[in-house]
Amino acid sequence: MAGSLIVKNIETYYGPIMAIRGVSLEVRAGQIVTLLGANGAGKTTVLKTISGAMEPQKGSVDLDGEPIVNLDPDVIARRGIAHVPEGREVFPFLSVEENLLMGAYSRKDKGVRNDLHAVYDYFPVLLEKRAQAAGFLSGGQQQMLAIGRALMLAPRIMLLDEPSLGLSPKYVAEIASIITRLNQERGITVLLVEQNVKVALDISEYGYVMENGRIVMEDTTERLKQATDIQEFYLGMKDEGVRGGRRWKQRKTWR
Amino acid sequence: MEATEDLALMSTDSLVIEVAGCNTISELFWKRVVDLPDKVALREKEFGIWNEYTWADYGEQAKLAGLGLIALGLQRGDVCSIASEINKEWQFADLGIIGAGGICNGVYPTDVAEQVEYLINDSNTRFYFAEDEEQLDKVLEVRGRTPGLEKIIIFDMDGLQTLDDPQCISFDALQTIGRDYANEHPECWTERIGAAQPNDVMVLTYTSGTTGPPKGAMISHRNMLYMTQVLQDVYDITPDDEQLCFLPLAHIAGRMFYTFAPMESCSVVNIVESLETVNQDQQEVSPSIHFAVPRVWEKQYANIAIKLKDATRFGVWSYDWALAVGAELAEYLKAARPPPLWLRLKGFCAHHAVLKNCRKYLGIHDAKWLSTAAAPIAPELIDWFWALGKPMYEVYGQTECTGLATANVAGDCRIGSIGKAVPGTEVRLSAEGEILIRGPGVIQGYWNNEEKTASTIVNGWLHTGDVGRIDDDGYIYILDRLKDIIITAGGKNITPSEIENRLKFSAYISDAVVVGDKRPYLTCLVMIDEENVTKFAQDANVPFTNYTSLCHTREVKDLIWEEIEGVNSKFARVETIKKFRLIDQLLDPEDEELTPTMKLKRKVVNVKYADLIDSMY
Repeated sequence: MAGSLIVKNIETYYGPIMAIRGVSLEVRAGQIVTLLGANGAGKTTVLKTISGAMEPQKGSVDLDGEPIVNLDPDVIARRGIAHVPEGREVFPFLSVEENLLMGAYSRKDKGVRNDLHAVYDYFPVLLEKRAQAAGFLSGGQQQMLAIGRALMLAPRIMLLDEPSLGLSPKYVAEIASIITRLNQERGITVLLVEQNVKVALDISEYGYVMENGRIVMEDTTERLKQATDIQEFYLGMKDEGVRGGRRWKQRKTWR
Repeated sequence: MEATEDLALMSTDSLVIEVAGCNTISELFWKRVVDLPDKVALREKEFGIWNEYTWADYGEQAKLAGLGLIALGLQRGDVCSIASEINKEWQFADLGIIGAGGICNGVYPTDVAEQVEYLINDSNTRFYFAEDEEQLDKVLEVRGRTPGLEKIIIFDMDGLQTLDDPQCISFDALQTIGRDYANEHPECWTERIGAAQPNDVMVLTYTSGTTGPPKGAMISHRNMLYMTQVLQDVYDITPDDEQLCFLPLAHIAGRMFYTFAPMESCSVVNIVESLETVNQDQQEVSPSIHFAVPRVWEKQYANIAIKLKDATRFGVWSYDWALAVGAELAEYLKAARPPPLWLRLKGFCAHHAVLKNCRKYLGIHDAKWLSTAAAPIAPELIDWFWALGKPMYEVYGQTECTGLATANVAGDCRIGSIGKAVPGTEVRLSAEGEILIRGPGVIQGYWNNEEKTASTIVNGWLHTGDVGRIDDDGYIYILDRLKDIIITAGGKNITPSEIENRLKFSAYISDAVVVGDKRPYLTCLVMIDEENVTKFAQDANVPFTNYTSLCHTREVKDLIWEEIEGVNSKFARVETIKKFRLIDQLLDPEDEELTPTMKLKRKVVNVKYADLIDSMY
């Protein structure tokens, strides 16, 4: 089932504004890779460019060695890239099950039923509420539904955009463990964008840090956790200084 | 021989230096405050607005700070240190300290805590001015080991409202103490001003010793007064001139040009909002006289060079044409001859089509002249500014001679040379070719370091450590630092800075260090210009993630090699670079490899990257 992704030098604009200033990254098949960065760094734009929701001015995206850049989003989805957008975006007036089946819209194989059961196995709460309108689910349940819907595509790669957004700590932990399971049990490659840096570093093996549309740092998550800039700027661990309550920040060096 | 030298020495020493009838800086400063109360002395941009400060404001602020220090016990000859980015408080505190009879030492805000500790102890600092929280924390970290330090004064109290520490007070509080003290002792300030003697030390400037720890150069009132005269002779500065203050005040160049020269010329100093806004601030101020270090000029050139890459073919053609016309005109300008009519016509077109826009973009449109010093510069770069229509004069000097020793001046200028000795200063070469300087600018010595003083200043002659030559017309050329001269295994003497300057002229190379002492051939370490190389990589579709991976791409290596080949073609075969390596870490001024002005330190680089260097042999 593979699922490797190579992004080379993409530049993406919102009108005249250059949001991505040349980003290259690699996600190997079977890996969980995280993309970190402050608000506005361009993380979401990278995901949108990969899934075809936005077209880059420049650069290439290869899925398992085949170029997919400038293909329509639906074609890219059929090739096996499932994008779970930020803010869940479930269809509020459809039932939970209808939502899930929408995820399998492009599939004609017989595995859909099996996958539906598999999703219910991962998220028993969805089975409980299968007939309810998705709009009535809680935030955490909607997030599960969004992930479940993506799963229904039987994707090679999942692009997850801030799955922990607005969730309670309990749900965050649960979603995190499910992402790990999906990766281990089903071999799905994951590119994860997260603001909850601690969780993201815990569940992924490799990470990139973006700032102002560029990648400023990349390394294994083990090493990223040790980097002083990551600790100070992303994990909120900082030396209180001689006075206690130091407010000024070190200059970032990204090493 | 000895006898005549001693005689000459006495005559320089006894020479009376006076500016506007004053023989100390304190006196001159106060004269300006009294005579020109309503003239604008400083402007500082805060939150996008240029606030003005007249000489009366300047004087009042300095006086309150100075009296505050006196009230806290400052005696004549006590040392105070200031650790801050450039701002008006720096200037107020500086003149407060000097007016009160103290000695003011500048600390670079990028210095780390250990350096701060060394500077406080070596200079016997009693009062320490810290810009803000960040600077304060550094001194708090080391104050247990600085027994002589008494008070810490903080300019910006943001985030420190709850600070309760008997050793720390705010700058405002210091001035309040000064105000109360003035009420009780109304004569004190003018007494202190009057008590200053020409040979009193008033400024300590630590020089980044490449051998051993930094040494504090002692600059007296007389040294600096002389330098203000020299600056007037060389630059012809008027009260209407506008300067842009953006170089660090802890450096002699910034200090003499922004703090003391305006006391002689009464020009207006505009302090930038922050180092990030320099380009915009410069466009707004459009200074009428402008001094900067080569790195700034290199950046300006690279700015245009890179913009040109995005220009249309017609744009590039017009630029090339206009610069060729500009270069032709510059020849007449240099020789102070009127250009022929046809050339003037072409110049008119070039000016309106291209050159004017370039100059406006760089913020040098209104500059009467540009001046460069403090590091070697490629002659091609100077020519480029001349071609833009702005005369650029290279000058030379050291902290140890209070700034300038030689200068190119209007009508007497030879590009590539550092000009001739400034009035009142003598320059000659030693037997080894080392440049020696004597004159009223030469300092009395290093603070508490008689040994270094004795080896640096011999019979009044300052040994600069620079190797040079003097041509038949008296123009002086710097070859290199004496200790940097490379002698290859083949026995060939090579001056690395000549090669390095040419390399730095490339838009893609930020700095380079040539290596080859006792080696069979020359190699170099290169620090790339991040912005421009990134742009190159993007344009050429070279995948990379961060600075390190950018340095490791084949395309970038090829690009730099091409630039090196280009430079190689200008040198003899033994002087060509055979191999190079890129420094793949993004360095910043807090790293020991860089000077505060972002130059690579040869010695540190040689040690720190020894493995990388060895890998080339």
